[in-house]
Amino acid sequence: MMKLKSHIPLFIAIVGLFCLPLFIHNPYYIHLAETILIYTILLFGLDIVVGYIGQVSLGHAALFGIGSYTAGVLYFHFGWTIWGTIPASIVVTAIFGGILALPALKVIGPYLAMVTLAFGTIAQILINEMTWLTEGPLGIKIPKPDLMGVPMSKAEYFWLVSAVLIISLIVVDRFVKSQIGRAFEALRDSPIACDCMGVSVYRFKVIAFVISAGFAGLAGCLYAYSEQYISPNTYNNELAVLFLLGIIMGGRKSRLGAVIGAAIIVLLPKLLDDINLFRIVASIIAIVVVAGAAMALSKQLTTPRRVAIPIAGVVGLAAFSFWLNSISDWRLSIFGFMILLVVYYLQNGIVGFAKSFYQSMVGKAKTTRGEEAEVVDDSISFISAIGKQNTGAELLKVDSLLMQFGGLKALNNVDLSVKRGTIHGLIGPNGSGKSTMMNVLTGIYVPTAGSVLYAGESVVGKTSSDIALSGIARTFQNVQLFGEMTAIQNILVGLHHTFKSNIVEIALHLPRYKKEELEAHGRALALLKFVGLEDLANEEARNLPYGKQRLLEIARALALDPELLLLDEPAAGLTAPDIKELLRIIRKIRDSGITFILIEHHMDVVMSVCDTVSVLDFGQKIAEGKPAEVQADEKVIHAYLGT
Amino acid sequence: MDMFAQILSSGIAVGMIYAVIAFGFQLTFATSGTLNFGQGEALMLGALVGLTCVDTFGMNYWLMIPVVCLFGMIQGSFVELIGVRPAIKIKSEFGWIMSTIALGIIFKNVAENIWGRDALPFPSPLPMEPMTFLGANILPMEILVVFGALAMMLLVEFFNRKTIYGKAVVATANDRDAAGLMGINTSMVITFSYALSSLTAAFAGVLIAPLTLTGAMMGGALGLKAFAVAIIGGLSSGMGIIVGGLILGIVETATGFYISTGYKDVPGLILLLLVLAYKPSGLFGKSAIKKV
Amino acid sequence: MLSIKNLEAGYGKVKVLHGINIDVPKGQVITLIGSNGAGKTTTMRAITGMIKPTGGEVTLSGEKIDGYDSHKIARLGLAHSPEGRRVFTTMSVTDNLLLGAFPRFTGSRPKGDIKDDLEKSLEMFPRLKERRNQLAGTLSGGEQQMLAMARAVMLNPDIILLDEPSMGLAPILVEEVFRIISNLKSQGVTMLLVEQFAAAALNVADYGYVLENGKIATHGPADKLMHDPAVKAAYLGGASSH
Repeated sequence: MMKLKSHIPLFIAIVGLFCLPLFIHNPYYIHLAETILIYTILLFGLDIVVGYIGQVSLGHAALFGIGSYTAGVLYFHFGWTIWGTIPASIVVTAIFGGILALPALKVIGPYLAMVTLAFGTIAQILINEMTWLTEGPLGIKIPKPDLMGVPMSKAEYFWLVSAVLIISLIVVDRFVKSQIGRAFEALRDSPIACDCMGVSVYRFKVIAFVISAGFAGLAGCLYAYSEQYISPNTYNNELAVLFLLGIIMGGRKSRLGAVIGAAIIVLLPKLLDDINLFRIVASIIAIVVVAGAAMALSKQLTTPRRVAIPIAGVVGLAAFSFWLNSISDWRLSIFGFMILLVVYYLQNGIVGFAKSFYQSMVGKAKTTRGEEAEVVDDSISFISAIGKQNTGAELLKVDSLLMQFGGLKALNNVDLSVKRGTIHGLIGPNGSGKSTMMNVLTGIYVPTAGSVLYAGESVVGKTSSDIALSGIARTFQNVQLFGEMTAIQNILVGLHHTFKSNIVEIALHLPRYKKEELEAHGRALALLKFVGLEDLANEEARNLPYGKQRLLEIARALALDPELLLLDEPAAGLTAPDIKELLRIIRKIRDSGITFILIEHHMDVVMSVCDTVSVLDFGQKIAEGKPAEVQADEKVIHAYLGT
Repeated sequence: MDMFAQILSSGIAVGMIYAVIAFGFQLTFATSGTLNFGQGEALMLGALVGLTCVDTFGMNYWLMIPVVCLFGMIQGSFVELIGVRPAIKIKSEFGWIMSTIALGIIFKNVAENIWGRDALPFPSPLPMEPMTFLGANILPMEILVVFGALAMMLLVEFFNRKTIYGKAVVATANDRDAAGLMGINTSMVITFSYALSSLTAAFAGVLIAPLTLTGAMMGGALGLKAFAVAIIGGLSSGMGIIVGGLILGIVETATGFYISTGYKDVPGLILLLLVLAYKPSGLFGKSAIKKV
Repeated sequence: MLSIKNLEAGYGKVKVLHGINIDVPKGQVITLIGSNGAGKTTTMRAITGMIKPTGGEVTLSGEKIDGYDSHKIARLGLAHSPEGRRVFTTMSVTDNLLLGAFPRFTGSRPKGDIKDDLEKSLEMFPRLKERRNQLAGTLSGGEQQMLAMARAVMLNPDIILLDEPSMGLAPILVEEVFRIISNLKSQGVTMLLVEQFAAAALNVADYGYVLENGKIATHGPADKLMHDPAVKAAYLGGASSH
């Protein structure tokens, strides 16, 4: 029932949207609104790359163009109707999105931005030059589509666009809330942890670009019929930057943000064309910002220093507008300033800013995001019962392992044998090779020589993602949680391997997908309960206290249904009570049949919980045996204390 | 054979310009891990300021060069202060990418309003009659470009190797924390590297201006191609960008001749994408080892 | 000379140091020992500005330096040979040494005779003299450690902080490193030495502090500390005094 109530504003908005052409008859305004809707669809797609996988894309104007031109070319050369060009535009642009993803696979940040910029530039050049296909600079004229033999009126096309927008809204919302959306966010927050949780970074990067491009193509197609004329110079880098401004300013990871952003980038140039209107708006903004700052200062929520620059900026802008006679020449500079403003002062966009402003005024700190889930299973059986079978049999066999970096032998001829159902400790001074061993076992490094057999099969050369899925899970020395995701979402990423449904099932919320979501949520909650974090399920991982973050990482690793769990310094930085809790949890997990390799410096931890201990020094194994034996071993004492 | 020589010589001149701009990318990337997406605009401003000096103030071309270089340093410091430093402080990669893009847009718009949107001719300090060499027509200005670019890069190399301040810059690039422990003010080093980067771009601007048309739009394509050169050569290799620049310049000129001028820019960009797909550290760069 | 009171520091959410007190009098060698993860390197970093302390104060020759940037602290005469050596790998041995004297070139420290000091350094570290033009990145671990220490000496500092000089070095090289530390000691250089190898450190130091879980577990004159069972316990667990 509560679900329906929260959707009421949306229902009202949708009804309002469809009523628009009935009340406003001026075709210019209808066209403006239509453009906003079309840009919104594009921003839904762009948000997947910018908001969800967290990268800068300067190629979405080109993808937009590819969508438009697919429609244009199919109409111009083959006479296709809109009912054919819409799916064609989506598919063709999605394919180009996939092509764009290929050079982008191994790179992030500025390199990825440059890949998209290069792609965008190439696409625009090709559209311009391949005149035999695209008519080049001449452009293509496209009439409004036919409805029952007659060209659609302005209002009818508007309704079509609105309908497509609503469908896009639902589809994109379902995608980002599904396991696909979680995979995207995991990719952004920690690519290494993502791979080690069985979610292939490469694969999902491609999927992200493909889906994002699909939306861009759809928007492009609708745009072609809306404008009724397309030409190459529309889809330039300036437009690409404008799209970025839109999504950042509106708010990332927010459907409403996309709408606001689209509205801003469509209306702003119009605003700038009319100097008087601009003066009024600039003055209003200046007054609002100054008033808001005064309020915040009086409530001591901020300092004069922090508000100085935004106030100077908006007041300066208002003054500037009165000094000039025409502002349209300075359009681009205004955009530039807006980008700077947004990047430093409005990082979460208008939507994000409004949310936090509201919270700070109302006084309620709310960092949780509601996720519905009920505890389905309370017992420990959720950890796939491997049972006591085969306890003592060899699970992991490392033979003559050599890991060399240039001249440095990080691991030098190391043998290791780990028995099922045991907790095997790995200790040694700094730089002895312990973490290197972890990284070799989980596929982050490929060994220079030697063999690693897990349950009889070689691990060498497999990807981290495959290794994770075959039963080896790990935690990290420096906690690698998906910081911006909630605790339960972190676990759900670990449970990614339990989802078999595809994008159609997700988009249509078919029964198999719904069942998988429900079961996964139930299991995730049970895992949280196991480590005592069920009350913090909806808290963002980066806001959790450090000790709890470490426990969350372990719970996430358990979600993989591993047979072998590698813990890298799990007790580092923990207080004594936290360590006690950690040991209790480790023992409980071991009792259900899971094997451990534990790297630790805390000798008390190692001594109290390990069955066997191997000691590394300078990349070589210098001792092995029961904890007490190792503790008394001369070589070990020398390695640590140096007598 | 004539054609081949012509393509080679024109390609080398163009390529050296790309290399000099790419050099600027390397400087800032080495010390701070950031680069100026508006580097092309730095070149454009240098060219336009140079034009004003020469046309409006009647300055001699050779005297104008240090003035433009000074302007470049100021412009670069400005970009660092406004666009890059705040982003480094909040550790936001997104931040400096978007702000340097934004500053580039602003500079271009300001240039459009001050100098207009048309392309303007730049008076050449050297005679415009081409010389012939091995069947190719070579403009004296093109030779100046090649020498100027090489001279600039060698000057900076000399500075880096022989002066203590240059060594401090290299040290910051090598290990920022350790450089701080040596008493080196690494923030200032980063500002300086941006100043130097814009200086080289501005200098490149006045070098090519006589060969092409000067105007607010000249920066865009150049910036992207310079980035391609920096990537192809490898962001950590000085030799690499010269080789990369030459490859790009020659391939581009050849494409322009054999296929069409419209497609000129395409092969370089495709090469960029290929390098990023297969060896992101560049043809001459060294791959980094992951640390977990 | 260097005084640390109630120092607290950490990385983001993780608090590593919970209020430690260390005193380094002029002309003495003080050592800070403890097992991995105890917080030794964090202490060094907090002193030299690589990380900012969250509480407490650090005073160098009467001036409060907690919160200062590294370069400012170096210019006040505190040299740091950091954990992991961190020599400038793409530069020659000579260049590394010259950079150690950077504040002397720029006037922030008294200039003296840099060229002369360079030659003296190379005399003290014969291995480096042989390789004066070699790239630092191609040196062995032991040679890099020598270089890091020589580089610190080039500052003509009032105090040298040595962070885990023995780390990753074979026993023979460890001996050589500590011989050099003794040498410096006999020249009256004030040093704060952080070490994992308790025995070697206590051998050369005047006074020692034992760090455990971010707190000083025990401290005392080095020769007394050497035989204290609490030291062994701090490293290897078991019967301990906490």
